[in-house]
Amino acid sequence: MIYLEIARSRVRSKLGPFALPIGLLGALLLAIGCFLPWSTYAGFPGKMLNSTPGGARLYVLLLSLFAVLFLVDWPGRSKALRGTSLFALIITVLTMLFVGYAGGGLVNCGIGVFVALVGALLYVVGAQALPEDSAPAPIRNLPDRGWRTLVETLLVVGAAVSALLVFVIGLGIPTASVAEGPDRRLGGAISLNDLTNESQFLCFLLFVCAAMLGLSRIGLVASLGALTKKHSRVMVAAALMSAVVFPFTQGGDGYSLRIAASIGVFAAAAIGLNIVVGLAGLLDLGYIAFFGVGAYFAALVSGSVTSVLDVDLPFALTIVLAAAISGIFGILLGAPTLRLRGDYLAIVTLGFGEIFRITVNNLDGSAGPSLTNGPNGISNIPDLALPGGFSFGDNHTLFGVDLPFQANYYWLEVILVAVVMTAFLRLAESRIGRAWVAIREDELAAAATGINTTRLKLLAFALGATLAGAAGSINAHVVKVAAPDSFTFLESALLLAAVILGGMGTVQGALLGATVLYLLPEKLRFLQDLRLLVFGIVLVLIMRLRPEGLVPSKRRQREFREPGGGADALAAPPGRAEVST
Amino acid sequence: MDLFLQQLVNGVVLGATYGLIALGYTMVYGIVQLINFAHGEIFMLGGFGALTTYLTLPAGTPTAVALPMMLMGGMFVSVTVAVLMERFAYRPLRGAPRLAPLITALGVSIALQEIVRNFYPNAKTARVFPQLVDPQQRFTIVGDVSISAPNLLTVVVAVVGMVALSSFVRRSRTGRAMQATAQDPDTARLMGINTDRIIVTAFVLGASLAALAGLAHGLRFGQVDFRMGFLIGIKAFTAAVLGGIGNISGAVLGGFTLGLVEVMATQYAPEPFAGGAWKDAWAFVVLIIVLVFRPTGLLGERVSARA
Repeated sequence: MIYLEIARSRVRSKLGPFALPIGLLGALLLAIGCFLPWSTYAGFPGKMLNSTPGGARLYVLLLSLFAVLFLVDWPGRSKALRGTSLFALIITVLTMLFVGYAGGGLVNCGIGVFVALVGALLYVVGAQALPEDSAPAPIRNLPDRGWRTLVETLLVVGAAVSALLVFVIGLGIPTASVAEGPDRRLGGAISLNDLTNESQFLCFLLFVCAAMLGLSRIGLVASLGALTKKHSRVMVAAALMSAVVFPFTQGGDGYSLRIAASIGVFAAAAIGLNIVVGLAGLLDLGYIAFFGVGAYFAALVSGSVTSVLDVDLPFALTIVLAAAISGIFGILLGAPTLRLRGDYLAIVTLGFGEIFRITVNNLDGSAGPSLTNGPNGISNIPDLALPGGFSFGDNHTLFGVDLPFQANYYWLEVILVAVVMTAFLRLAESRIGRAWVAIREDELAAAATGINTTRLKLLAFALGATLAGAAGSINAHVVKVAAPDSFTFLESALLLAAVILGGMGTVQGALLGATVLYLLPEKLRFLQDLRLLVFGIVLVLIMRLRPEGLVPSKRRQREFREPGGGADALAAPPGRAEVST
Repeated sequence: MDLFLQQLVNGVVLGATYGLIALGYTMVYGIVQLINFAHGEIFMLGGFGALTTYLTLPAGTPTAVALPMMLMGGMFVSVTVAVLMERFAYRPLRGAPRLAPLITALGVSIALQEIVRNFYPNAKTARVFPQLVDPQQRFTIVGDVSISAPNLLTVVVAVVGMVALSSFVRRSRTGRAMQATAQDPDTARLMGINTDRIIVTAFVLGASLAALAGLAHGLRFGQVDFRMGFLIGIKAFTAAVLGGIGNISGAVLGGFTLGLVEVMATQYAPEPFAGGAWKDAWAFVVLIIVLVFRPTGLLGERVSARA
């Protein structure tokens, strides 16, 4: 980091006065490059050949628009430009490499990419040469006029809709996994076509990151965040509507709905875990086991032919019972162990997770009582059915749109996520939630102020387990199987990573983290074997560069960013913890 | 009775491995209060380092030469990785809240496993480890109770390693500085101790012992696997907690206790919960029971008082 600073100050001292012309020239060249063809052959997807920008070219073009900031002295502009220009360069270089690789050599890249490359380089240099921002971008309010409320509402709705749009576009970029269907995990070499498709997704992802980075650094994201807080009801309604209409945008494609439903389960579990980890500060490394308890219970009483119990409970009862049983497990595990210090709790929950996995793996009648079919798990779980005779396994048509049966499960997941989110938000602002935060920050002080720490910790733990149980029971019906392989330590780690990547203690964060972590492996199959490696490295990098997560709660952000926030004997000297990018 | 004694021997062998790895956990935790999840991977890398060294040695190298060379190779890999890990993953997070380095450790652990799986030749499945010490050769202890040569070697090197570490920590200047840092880092620093260097020392010592365990593991089972560090690592941490974290004799005691419990439970647990399929579950059950009734471990913990 320090070397970057030195390099930047050198660029600044030499080129400072020319920052504006260099940057603008670069952005202009970049934009011109986007209207020239980037490849000399047909076959690379994303409209690289003709003169209308599409795919990566469109993204780069949009990023070049940030160059307007060279002209106005907007607070935070220098940081915003540094970020966006760098991303524009990265996308350009990546696309150049992909086009060259797919076409058999860089000579097959069109003239446009080289123009854009030169432009992007100048853009980066210009942005680096800008003087440092004098002040961070403030939160801005609209002028107080008669139309203010209306505009604010529209902005909030627009934010929710564009979030849906980003998700739909991202999901809609075809990748190898879509073509291959549900068996995609079985491996097999990926073709050149997959690679080029996935490069599209990668560029889109980078573009979204860059745009968010740019907008957040000039303060627009924070301003919008303040607005959504002010009009939270509108925001909730708009977000819910966006989520509900999503299946209608998919043109009857069941696969993307299935992914969306899986994201829903993953997100619901992540939010539940966020209560335990984010609010109460209890590190639970075996959370997936509670999810598994719910899933196995639902599978056992689903009337599946592979279940040893020959019962078929109504689904509403199953969810309640599964949640209750998971909660009881949570209490049984938590009651004796929650007196322990945090790290011990982590290891005990990890142990519990392993015990659960080993137990369901063994209860196959040979090493133990016959209950779970051992490694094969309980499969062929039937589709859900409502008392009115409505089966979740049927396709149907609504408002003239054909909806595949996955839409039913998707909507069920939307309800689940909504319930879990409500629970989280209500709890977080309640007396209980504040007590949890107090315990997380300083258990001794919390106890001294009269908080019954053990009981409240137990409550958080049991509540997290209950939500996981409910999510698990639904998931058993969505994936139609409950097998030990789905409940390994890695799954717990992934959930935890989703919470931390998104930002501990915020519900949007857990949602975002779950979406990103679920979607990335689905979409970036060209990484294939390296996926987990990249995942591990990303975990390390996030902790170094943005330990408070993508959408941090205010309190947590301060904790990580302010010098002396984590006053500690071995703490780095103040200022070193400050990360500059 | 013979069966019991035989299982006792097996338990001691298993416990020796756990103890060796647990020492690395306990030293690091005692000083920086970090559960270094990646320590299991350091153990695994020690095994792979030893294997690599063996493969580069000319064919026909006598065992007496090959074994120390392999140990040095394994230690070199383990120590290098551990030092790099401390420098680039953990040290920047010193001031951060407790969860941050734990997540980092998780990430490092996954990354190291995947690096070996993807980039070590043919390591996607277990790789054959040379059986330099003949496992068929058994030494009778009493009656029908015997111990195979690699197992005996494991116990011997483990005990030597533990004694060496213990005397290092107790007698040497650096060792005493380690104790001081673990007790009170602030005061230790005021006394002129370079705490950064002490922390690195703890990582280096832990990694060396883990490499020793990795070599022993390879010799005993005739194979090394990129996955082998994970479960053993968790169990070794369990052992460290069992003995009282931060406590060096505790880690050794915890290791042997855990090994014995695991072996005995496999043999004597009530049906149907006996047998190899349940042994890992028993290890964790014991952990939970111990933590409930004696949260500071068997010998009590020794962690610097800042929580």
